[in-house]
Amino acid sequence: MNKYFIILCLILLSRVATAHEMIPTYPKWKLSIYDGLLVTEMEMFNKREDVEYYEVAVFDDKWNPIPFVSSFKLFKLEYLSKVKFDVYIREQDRERTEYICSTSKLRNNKAPAISSMICSRFK
Amino acid sequence: MLRKAILVGTMCLGATAVYAEEVPITGNVQSRCVITTDTPGVYGNPNAYTLTTASADGGVQPIVRYDVTLADAYYAQITTPTSFAQSPSLSDTVTWTGSTEVSAVSDATNMGSYETNKVTFGQTTQYDLTATGSTWFKSSSTASYGGDKAFPGGTYTANIEAVCIAK
Repeated sequence: MNKYFIILCLILLSRVATAHEMIPTYPKWKLSIYDGLLVTEMEMFNKREDVEYYEVAVFDDKWNPIPFVSSFKLFKLEYLSKVKFDVYIREQDRERTEYICSTSKLRNNKAPAISSMICSRFK
Repeated sequence: MLRKAILVGTMCLGATAVYAEEVPITGNVQSRCVITTDTPGVYGNPNAYTLTTASADGGVQPIVRYDVTLADAYYAQITTPTSFAQSPSLSDTVTWTGSTEVSAVSDATNMGSYETNKVTFGQTTQYDLTATGSTWFKSSSTASYGGDKAFPGGTYTANIEAVCIAK
């Protein structure tokens, strides 16, 4: 009986669960050191072994893209690593900016995959 | 002689300063939504012109888990495929059908209404994550080749899109 229980545990533990997370959920814009630009700091954690790259984008409430500047729009984020990054927008876009989203970029996987996207919101 | 050497050695070791440092571990608890790929799907091929994740046809339904730490702060949107990410060259149209349902919840009392309150538009299903905890969503996807023609041999891959949007 114990033998079967251990085998069942091993099977369950061997299932690789992979995750994507980004914080904060409700970021705030702050004045940046650059004239006319606002900045917010985001943090992303990659627990997806099948994903190496994440794309960042900024949208208004109708999902139209808003121009922004960041170190990279496409981050290489190793498995189990964390990155903090700044996102800058023009001060004039403050009111219409609604979401910052990060999307997993899937490689040309042979197996079916799940693309994940997390969006933080400005309130 | 040997006894003296051992005694001196022991005293020297005892006299060695012991340094203790407190190593801090800091943590930051924030509200968050985590999307976890629990089970990647597999298409079964019950006949020449159909690919399906239905278990009765040899497929595996993909399962995505959402963990939220703040109640009533997120929407989960899951979109089943409408195209192949990878396939052999296809000369005819592919008809896609798909659906998503709650597979399991960590809090049956507060999450019990998720399935009845879901909103479906096109291939996308939206859930209002009103409680904290984990929810597992199971999707099904079927691709049928035009005019009941046989799918050409090769590898077919399609992707589910799981989105978590702050309210």
